[in-house]
Amino acid sequence: MRGEQSRRSALKAFGAVGIAGAVSLLGARLRGLGAVARATMSKNAPARLAGKTVGRPKGAGATSAAAAEALYKLSPGWAAWTQPGLNVRDGWSEPDEWMPAIENSHGLPYTHNTFSRFEAPGKLAHHWAMVIDLRKCIGCQSCVVACKSENNVPVGVYRTWVQVIEVGQWDRDPEGDGPVVLEGGTYEPSVRRFSLPRLCNHCDDPPCVEVCPVKATFKRDDGLVLIDYPKCIGCGYCIQACPYDARFFNPIQQTADKCTFCVHLIDRGLLPACVTSCVARARVFGDLNDPDSEVATLLAAHATERLDISAGTHPQVFYINLDGDMVDAATAFNTIYPYAAGTNTNQYDELTGRVLLQAPTGGEGGVP
Amino acid sequence: MGGALNHSGLENAYWGLMVVTYPFISGLVAGSFVVSSLSHVFHQRRFDALAPLAVLTSLALLIAAPLTVLGDSRQPSNFLELLTRDHLPYSPLSTFIVIWLTYIALMLVELYVAFRVTNARIGEGDGWWARLHRGLALGHRNTSERAARKDRKILFGLSCAGIVLAFLFHGYIGFVFGATKARALWATPLMPVLFIVSAMVSGIALMWLVHFLATRYVGRRPDRQVASGLLSYLMLFLLLDLFLDALDLLTSAVPEYAQGSAYYGFSHLLLHGPFTFSYLGVQLGIGVVLPLALWLVPVVRRSWPGGAVMTLAALVGVYAMRWNVVLGGQAESKVSSNTVVTTSVPLTGFDSVQTVLGVFAVALLLFLLLAWLFPWGQAHEAMSASPSSSDPAVFPGTGVGALGPMPAPAPGESPVSGGGDA
Repeated sequence: MRGEQSRRSALKAFGAVGIAGAVSLLGARLRGLGAVARATMSKNAPARLAGKTVGRPKGAGATSAAAAEALYKLSPGWAAWTQPGLNVRDGWSEPDEWMPAIENSHGLPYTHNTFSRFEAPGKLAHHWAMVIDLRKCIGCQSCVVACKSENNVPVGVYRTWVQVIEVGQWDRDPEGDGPVVLEGGTYEPSVRRFSLPRLCNHCDDPPCVEVCPVKATFKRDDGLVLIDYPKCIGCGYCIQACPYDARFFNPIQQTADKCTFCVHLIDRGLLPACVTSCVARARVFGDLNDPDSEVATLLAAHATERLDISAGTHPQVFYINLDGDMVDAATAFNTIYPYAAGTNTNQYDELTGRVLLQAPTGGEGGVP
Repeated sequence: MGGALNHSGLENAYWGLMVVTYPFISGLVAGSFVVSSLSHVFHQRRFDALAPLAVLTSLALLIAAPLTVLGDSRQPSNFLELLTRDHLPYSPLSTFIVIWLTYIALMLVELYVAFRVTNARIGEGDGWWARLHRGLALGHRNTSERAARKDRKILFGLSCAGIVLAFLFHGYIGFVFGATKARALWATPLMPVLFIVSAMVSGIALMWLVHFLATRYVGRRPDRQVASGLLSYLMLFLLLDLFLDALDLLTSAVPEYAQGSAYYGFSHLLLHGPFTFSYLGVQLGIGVVLPLALWLVPVVRRSWPGGAVMTLAALVGVYAMRWNVVLGGQAESKVSSNTVVTTSVPLTGFDSVQTVLGVFAVALLLFLLLAWLFPWGQAHEAMSASPSSSDPAVFPGTGVGALGPMPAPAPGESPVSGGGDA
């Protein structure tokens, strides 16, 4: 049996580890909880941004703190982009002031579940949908730029993007004069390349809306899937549940974010920014409940395909001339390289030389 | 910089180490609670001494568990939305707040009942320690055998409800993953079962270690019957785990049986990819095969270091299982075909090793606080004042049988843990 002394010292050691850990946890993440913290700390935000000691606005650091305050007032959002650790204590106290509010100008009904009550065709005033004619898409990415500009989408994340996909394979050139030279010989392309604009599919049975634990996202009865940003707790479940990877964390407001079909424009009778900016008129937006609309006539006249229909989400973005192999992207085995691959994928690592290129070993895939 | 907060690009593994840890800790909650119910519900008398300790462990971990998801949330100050606009019953995550609050309430009542007689006895003395325990007994001072028997009956009912809640608490987490059809590696009905079985493994392993350390800490000898009994149950659940893993492999890793995307993920991530070591090496090798193999050697099985290695290996394997599910599932790309989404775990900051260690430290702190406040060493003596009660000593059908009654504690060994601090 050990002595009382050693027991007490062991208890002290355990307690010290526990307290240190608790402090570490609280300091690392759970800061700024509660209105008191907000009220007392938010006014010191510019000083914090300038790296000054908070609580003494007068003194040696006053000038640079004022400069930081001016910069902060000019562009609070972008200050956070370079410093994503910022939180309520840094002045992010009033989300309603800077977080975009979702408009519902016509007071349309919406739901967080039981989507079937929206399914009756013709019953509702509108059923917005998009038809994308891939025969016309030239992969210019102007819709991506227009979307970012219209919706103030931060750097590094996308509400819509155009995937440029190369399918086929690179064959080894027996004569050794192919355009790509690797250790094992030279290779020449036997490929086809096409563009695939992607965006939120505004599904009729959206899993992202169903899984939201706080009903922060909803489906309006004209078909739009939207987010009530100030309600979002940022758990990320909707992002995981979207089969189209259409949702992301907005790095500025730290909530889920996605394409809205430019709800602020279509509620005023205008077209989404990606549609108006499309140079080839590959993107067509309209009302499926109106049989004379362009989307309805296109759907009547052409065979269309939708992405990942096996997921059972009833997406409302239709594609004309979609390569059947790309419908379910994860199993598209003959893709060589999606040129719009994420920057944090192993293909991007290979492209940028972060890992050594390897000679393709067989017919399937391989990096040129 | 913000580490894992600073995501950009088309695809990201948004759920990081904190979400890996959440099912791990909640699995420990469920597993250790079931260990406590071995005595309370299934009347396995040899685990009587372990039951109070298991209740304390389970409660400490239960309070610490949601800190992980709170820390992973981008808007933690919005957490009250869960109470005011919960999306019941449509969202799997929305069931968290209901199950967790019910579970906390039940655990507090169970804590009160399990320690009431002990607290009342300590409360008979003088000083602040006695006054404190009179308060913890809520003024209920009856310490007679009849009152203790009544408490045992209440504990039986509470523990029955608690087992259901423990399974719900952990099952819902499995369902959060199993219901996500966008992630091919998650969307399997096996997921809740896999999680519950590995929760039992981790909880039993943890209780073995807690029993060993806690009894050594108060200067008593760990009970061999308890240890070998826990190891037997550990092996039972490890075999079940192995069976489920084999089922998972058969339905996901064989191209002719599996969905295309599930097979692609399994073969390119878990079998031949960045998660091969953590899946084949740690989750299956260290976590399942190693303890099973060690248990087959009688010398190792009966030795304390052997048991410690087996239980630690099982714990590491269960953590690796959470790692492979959460991070591995997100590493499979949804839209960029033929690629792997890279994941990284930062050392400090948001969603990092630092915050996870913090959560574990909070759990340890809570456990030490509870173990100091509630004299677990005396509780089972108080509750089982007459071991020859009408309760049968053998839980029918386990085959683990031959349970002698708990060896009565030696009179001189009056423990422990704070009781004499006042």
